[in-house]
Amino acid sequence: MSKTLQILLLDDEPIVGKRLKPALTKIGCEVEVFQDPIAAVARIDQKEFDIVVTDIRMDEIDGMQVLERVHNQSPRTKVIMITGYAMIALAREAMERGAFDFIAKPFKPDDLRKVIAKAAQALGSPIDFERMGEKQ
Amino acid sequence: MPIIIISSELAEPEKEIIAGTAASLGYQVLGPDVLKTIASVHNVPADTLTEALKKSPAGWRWKRSKRWSYYLACIESEVLERLKADHIVCWGLAAHLYVQGVSHALKIRMVSDRIKGIAAIATEKNMSQQRAEKWLADEDKRRQQWSMAAFGQDELSPSLYDMVLNLGQIDPDEAVQTITAAAGYRKFKPMTYSIKSLDDNALAAKVKTKLLVSLSDVSVQAMDGKVVVTSKALKRERQKKIAAIKDIAGTVEGVEYVEVHLINYVIREAAESYR
Repeated sequence: MSKTLQILLLDDEPIVGKRLKPALTKIGCEVEVFQDPIAAVARIDQKEFDIVVTDIRMDEIDGMQVLERVHNQSPRTKVIMITGYAMIALAREAMERGAFDFIAKPFKPDDLRKVIAKAAQALGSPIDFERMGEKQ
Repeated sequence: MPIIIISSELAEPEKEIIAGTAASLGYQVLGPDVLKTIASVHNVPADTLTEALKKSPAGWRWKRSKRWSYYLACIESEVLERLKADHIVCWGLAAHLYVQGVSHALKIRMVSDRIKGIAAIATEKNMSQQRAEKWLADEDKRRQQWSMAAFGQDELSPSLYDMVLNLGQIDPDEAVQTITAAAGYRKFKPMTYSIKSLDDNALAAKVKTKLLVSLSDVSVQAMDGKVVVTSKALKRERQKKIAAIKDIAGTVEGVEYVEVHLINYVIREAAESYR
């Protein structure tokens, strides 16, 4: 990998961040986890992340608003939407608004790792899984 | 790019549009020709598969026969498997009725000009305009009954589709341009959720096909290799049936876990208790 991927992970359920952070750190990503969307948006305003992974249904600010905010701040950032309420209409809306990918919960950490790898490839910073495998 | 699924009220939809769309997008065409291959894979007569896609079970001698469901399941599972390859324009295989939860499937309905259609039928069948109109209305009703019985969906409902094209108003080359442009919309882009939905649908259809060889009244849902089978059984048959379903479903490649939900045959049980 040419540089460490900077990832922001936002989900109001603490278990999601707890499970996914180690899985992404293992493949060499630097991950900041948030449960509060307001705090996450404030951080997005301060720092340009390579990838933002966000839940859709949250109080105060929903995932679609986060997506819009990220794209206003940094159009190159890839946004991956995750939701437990996956439906065709929502999936299509997310893609139309510029999401990089859309994943239905529940999913395995490995599913997210694959999508992160795709996003890294699209950003021109492919993840070297073989090298990462040596680290694990 | 999305999978394109074309449904038409015409027996032979405008092949020019299908071929033109495939050529313009660099896609393969998947149409009724594949039924011969499906028939040989499942060792069933090809004609019966064609018939199963056309005739409503209510008006058919196969009524109450589990064979009809089996033939449809064979088609569904083989078509879904092929759709996984992507870059396909699919028509004439009822895929619009069983590609569910797949947001990268662009579903298109082609309709003809009603007045022109009635006139064409009147000429072809040598009947009056009034009789041709009734014939067409009966045909619509028959298709509606067929789609409801086969897949629980009303084929004539525009809400089932992403786009409805009136070929009485749009020329074939304009239709090709419209479909090609829509295929480029971001909202129809394949994504993890919809690719997984297609995989899950394909696995469920594969399991259903296998179960319908020996069972009837079976519905199957799949998610990530976990399969839920719902069926009916008499109380005294429950354990035997659960074991049989688990055995059969467990042999399908990709199945990791099988859960069986059995509903009691209340009426049959009541009838037996009076004997």
